[in-house]
Amino acid sequence: MDKLADFYQVSVVLTGYNRSRLMATGIGEEYFEVLTSLVPGKIIDELFICSRALAHEYKGEALNEKFREQILSNDRLGPVARNILKMWYLSLWYQLPQSWRETYGVPSQTPGKYQDIDFVISENAYIQGLVWPALGSHPMGAKQPGYGTWAFKPGEELTRINLGTDHPVSDIEEGNLS
Amino acid sequence: MNNNEHFDVVIVGAGISGAIMAQELGKNGKSVLILEAGTGTGGRFFSSDCDAPSQENSQPLSSYQTYMSTFFTALAKIPNAPYPNNANAPQPLVTDLAPIPQGQISDNGYFVQTGPLPFASTYTRAEGGTTLHWLGTCLRMLPEDFELKTRFGRGLDWPISYDELRPWYEIAEQNLGVSANANEQNYQQIDNPAVHIPFAASYEYKMEKIPQSYLDQYFSKGLAQMQVSFEGKNYPIDVVSTPQARNGMPRGDYRPVGAVGHETAGQRCAGNSNCVPICPIQAKYNALKTLEQAKKTGKVEIRTQCVAYQLETDEQGKNIARVHYKKYQSSDNPDHQCHAVSGTIVVLASHAVENAKLLLASNVANSSDQVGRNLMDHPTMLTWGLMPTDIGAFRGPGSTSGIPSLRGGEFRKSRAAFRIEIGNWGWSWPEGAPVGTVPDLIDEKNMFGEQLKNYIASVYPRMFRFGFLVEQLPDANNRVTLDDNYRDQLGNYRPVISYNVTDYTRAGMAAAKEVSDQIFQRLGIEGFTEYKPSDAGYLTYRGEGYSYNGAGHLVGTHIMGDNPNTSVVNKYQQSWDHPNLYLVGCGNMPTISTSNPTLTMAALTYWAAQNVLEALNPC
Repeated sequence: MDKLADFYQVSVVLTGYNRSRLMATGIGEEYFEVLTSLVPGKIIDELFICSRALAHEYKGEALNEKFREQILSNDRLGPVARNILKMWYLSLWYQLPQSWRETYGVPSQTPGKYQDIDFVISENAYIQGLVWPALGSHPMGAKQPGYGTWAFKPGEELTRINLGTDHPVSDIEEGNLS
Repeated sequence: MNNNEHFDVVIVGAGISGAIMAQELGKNGKSVLILEAGTGTGGRFFSSDCDAPSQENSQPLSSYQTYMSTFFTALAKIPNAPYPNNANAPQPLVTDLAPIPQGQISDNGYFVQTGPLPFASTYTRAEGGTTLHWLGTCLRMLPEDFELKTRFGRGLDWPISYDELRPWYEIAEQNLGVSANANEQNYQQIDNPAVHIPFAASYEYKMEKIPQSYLDQYFSKGLAQMQVSFEGKNYPIDVVSTPQARNGMPRGDYRPVGAVGHETAGQRCAGNSNCVPICPIQAKYNALKTLEQAKKTGKVEIRTQCVAYQLETDEQGKNIARVHYKKYQSSDNPDHQCHAVSGTIVVLASHAVENAKLLLASNVANSSDQVGRNLMDHPTMLTWGLMPTDIGAFRGPGSTSGIPSLRGGEFRKSRAAFRIEIGNWGWSWPEGAPVGTVPDLIDEKNMFGEQLKNYIASVYPRMFRFGFLVEQLPDANNRVTLDDNYRDQLGNYRPVISYNVTDYTRAGMAAAKEVSDQIFQRLGIEGFTEYKPSDAGYLTYRGEGYSYNGAGHLVGTHIMGDNPNTSVVNKYQQSWDHPNLYLVGCGNMPTISTSNPTLTMAALTYWAAQNVLEALNPC
């Protein structure tokens, strides 16, 4: 089985974003690399197999309930799943909980590209964080929406100035678009 | 390098006031040397393999884009996050802040804080200075702000009036590139004559006002006709666009100015929502813009990684004969060489705290015993809540409007005035949202999937915060001193700061909280404000707790005045003690009042540059 595909499958359930949207970030493989560098392969396999089996059997709210029961409340899989979710939304890897590390941490973790500490995964990861589209804006410091867009009513199309009849020209000149 | 180098003017500090001074003198043909303690920017936007490090500087050359990369990958995106942590020119960080236990000293950062309260503001020690991460707010002071002692029996009077400074405000607004409409910024529309600011009849800003955010418009509508009452007198609540040194729509043939790198950097603001800590496109003014113009005069040399540590006087103790500095090769390594230069005139432009430090370390300019004293800030109290509807939080410049109608009035006899800043970035300041708050939704509120996404979509766009910039009066005990026990790795002093907030300011915070409560009640805003004793800036007033934050507005430390016994510089910003020494920056301001001080500092510095020029060219 393609483990990257499994990673996207579990990520879709965790994030609430569909697979196309996740792949469009261009950052999934990097998250996958971080995950597989820091979490023992056996635990990742267990998570993927469990998630795929649940998704095969359940849909919608039933899937969410089973996901909580089988994965999120599991002391071995839950912290890993939450870290995957936090990577997608916040672009950060958070150090796994101490109790998890004592029980399951990779014992022979050598200094490598990644360490199990709090870190921003990469510049691009920051820019692709899903929390920004979720809250209806753009990552602070990137994906600039354009001059004056902050004056628009939230949810309006951000890429063009609305020249509709609702806005007298003088208002537009003042920048008071509403 | 030899120790007999001479320049018309030696400037310490390559921030905004040093840059203004250098440009003004350079374009008038004066030879200028700027000594900058921190590292440089390399004059470029993108890093490039073609740019080999020069022999002069063995460190890899920096670039503005490197600052961006550092910002993106910084865990704590604090104001200084993009800029180098340089042990040879250390700087204060907000993450150093903590409550100071009674009778103890907090020295875990650059500042050595003796309390009783922590001084909460920070600054940046690198080429470009703190303008690299300022917000860009460019308010003028009120006429009454120059006469607090005469009119209210509080603080100090300035040795100059608003009318004297007005032409210099105009020059500063033009050169910093301020976007605003004069017919709003004169506040004539506000039904409180105390805040009216006379503008020259024909004056207009070079760029149109920055569009007000949707949140601003929501407040404008919701607070129309609102009044509050202080001491039996009614005052209006008016939402007014804030003048900003941020590129907008030019008027006439004015063209916005860029800074380092590609010529297209620095055009109109594109809504990156990141003025603090770093504007990716330099649409916001920073001092690199003025430094670029200064260098183009061909008369200005900037030496980075050169920390001035002593001013040496001539044998009579009258003039500053030489400026001694330490040149280091790498910020990781304290190895350095000592050099000295002389200037016909010496200008200290290294920031309020650093100017005071250098003067105290050199034992000069202090016959008044006022050097380092009267340190002020705007203790900034936040209130925050959820609006009843989506107001599009986390969009646009950090603040595009404020409520300036309570900046002045008779109440200043009994308590501090304040300006209200409307924040466009949700709870990013009070709570660290979203990156600081979403982990709680996942780990403690146990959300995931659609539920998490929908919760964020329904709550975060409604987040908003006010900032109340409360004035603080000059106080001789709020001060910077030196202690031989506290030095940095180059052997230079670290600032020892004692600081408190008086009841005058605390009463202003209490009044501000009442105004906030009334606005929340009027608009049905769900309040989430919480002041905790564990906050570094927690204090009490009449049994209620409040917390302040640093505004980054470090004022005082070498105040100007009419009397050499009670001030450090005269109205020309010249040291009373040493005729060839000029001090510039916010350190000269005798009071802070309610405006962010950068524009006033810039106006004063243009004036000081004129004074230096006249001193060099006596009639």
